Amino acid sequence: MDSSRDNVNRTDQGQTDTRIVVDDLTFAYLRDPVLQGVSFTLQKNAIGLLGPNGSGKTTLLRALLGHLRVPPGKVSVLGLDMAREARSVRARLGWMPERGGVIEGMSGVALVAYMGELAGMPTRDAMQRAHEVLHYVGLADERYRPCQTYSQGMRQRLKLATALVHDPQWLLLDEPTSGLDPKGRVAILELVGDLAGHKGFGVILSTHLLADVEAVCREILVLREGKLLAHQSVTADTARRQVFEVEGFGPEEAFLTALRAEAVSVERDGRLILVTLDCGGDSDDEVAGGEGRTSEDGVGQDDHLRTAAGARRILAVAQRTDYAPRRLRRRPISLADTFYELIDTNESR
Amino acid sequence: MPVYERGYTHWESTGGRTYPPWWVIARRGITEPLRSRWFLLLLVLAWIPAVVKGTIIYVKARTGNLLDLLGGGWASLSGDGVLAFIEGQRFFVFLLMAIVGARLIAMDRRDNGLALYFSRPLGMFDYIAGKTLIVLFYYLCVTLFPVYALCVFGYLVSAGTTGVNTLVVIPLQTTLFCLFAGVGMSLVLLAFSSVGKRTIFITVWWTILFMGSEAISALFAAGGFNWLEFLNFAGQYHNAGSLLLGTEPRLDIPPVVSMFLTLLYAVLALLILRRFVRPVEVVS
Repeated sequence: MDSSRDNVNRTDQGQTDTRIVVDDLTFAYLRDPVLQGVSFTLQKNAIGLLGPNGSGKTTLLRALLGHLRVPPGKVSVLGLDMAREARSVRARLGWMPERGGVIEGMSGVALVAYMGELAGMPTRDAMQRAHEVLHYVGLADERYRPCQTYSQGMRQRLKLATALVHDPQWLLLDEPTSGLDPKGRVAILELVGDLAGHKGFGVILSTHLLADVEAVCREILVLREGKLLAHQSVTADTARRQVFEVEGFGPEEAFLTALRAEAVSVERDGRLILVTLDCGGDSDDEVAGGEGRTSEDGVGQDDHLRTAAGARRILAVAQRTDYAPRRLRRRPISLADTFYELIDTNESR
Repeated sequence: MPVYERGYTHWESTGGRTYPPWWVIARRGITEPLRSRWFLLLLVLAWIPAVVKGTIIYVKARTGNLLDLLGGGWASLSGDGVLAFIEGQRFFVFLLMAIVGARLIAMDRRDNGLALYFSRPLGMFDYIAGKTLIVLFYYLCVTLFPVYALCVFGYLVSAGTTGVNTLVVIPLQTTLFCLFAGVGMSLVLLAFSSVGKRTIFITVWWTILFMGSEAISALFAAGGFNWLEFLNFAGQYHNAGSLLLGTEPRLDIPPVVSMFLTLLYAVLALLILRRFVRPVEVVS
């Protein structure tokens, strides 16, 4: 009956542009701008959308969904302008809201099938898919229960199932682990990681939980007060610089002087000497799609090589200055370090 | 075993028939209340007047005009009789619409369901049309459908002597009136539903508007202030219906004025719906 939405099926689309492009997007609900000059291009990947409360994360997601009126040419999803073709784009987007999003009075399977039909799926397909995706998210046994009897963790999984039922290209997840216990959080993150890593979905994960992003995302978008502070790979800082902890004995002042000539910074942390080395990595390349070689334990082989090279540089300085290190260890740079550095740098400006 | 190892397969369409979103919303909303036994019982009760009227029509057909006094105009299948029957159904109309309609948008707003709906490829028209159809269906269930049944029944028991008037003209006029009144009332109720998040308050406001306005207007009329009958919300629809069904006006105000008022209600309701039915709530 409604042929405009018949092309929901990904095999029928014949579409090549899977990017999300935002170009100089500014948006205000009332007078105060919530987004200011935000620009980025996202390839299909797992992307963490980070920022403090009120930084514009949810507004940005809503702009991507076409819920907000934005001027033509500002937001383009899958090659289509959201100002003009939001409805057809939404057939290929899956949205998981932070709060609510569960219509009470329906069973889990009925709700998911209903959402599938609203996305333009044939009735029988929607019901079949509802069973499949509920099985996938781990709600197979509870699918006939009324939604209002679901626990918070089950509700989150149900919302993920409603986002997945029409097999979208991109998933927009707003705080998917909000209110979950550690076990439930791990289960949701496993699902999200699997969808992004193995099932070919683009995922935008909006959260203020850095550990969630670190667990599943490869890129981050950092927003603060409506401005985009950074768009980089999660490991960009690891690729760009390394921090080593050094402890030893010998002519320490000579060692420190020699190190300062080699390193970005040399600081004292109690008995430890913290040496920050510039690795010359290029974060922009990583965002553009470079994945690097990865070993079985999930750590990049390039990263191991960089660590070894850094250690050799420090040992060479120690040898030159007759300093005898008894401890040399690389201190991991967490996403939290990166995030707070970005926020602090922005604040100090 | 991690849950994701249970597997995920991409969807391949079977090419089955798809339906527009407004139809999907309406179908789900219409079937949902039918799961309640109490609601079904209420629907059955709402048909009792039609059964009584049918019985009178049958007896009249068998005994000639001897029983004309029984039921009076209410029992006839003229335009006047049909409008009187629909007026008599207003308690069931009020009740069914309140049960079905008060929660329709309020619950969606409460559960952040609007964002969920509008994350699908549907627009405001689909949403409002779908919700309106739900309320309209139950309005028609206790007004138009019984009239259809009575017209067919009346035609059959009179062995066709009532002619096309009972079988064509009256059903057509009634359809026009019921769609006009049903859509109008549904939009007003949905507008109420869209401004709040608690069903109980919306039901109270609907009761005040539907039943309270009639009571107040009746009080004024008793005091000689007949021109204040424009306060009677449901009465305006029936008064305007007298134009469509070719009967005497129901109130002391011209049916054209009632028609204008009902159209004004609908426009106001649409403006309110446009304001509140949004995927994003703007708070200052």
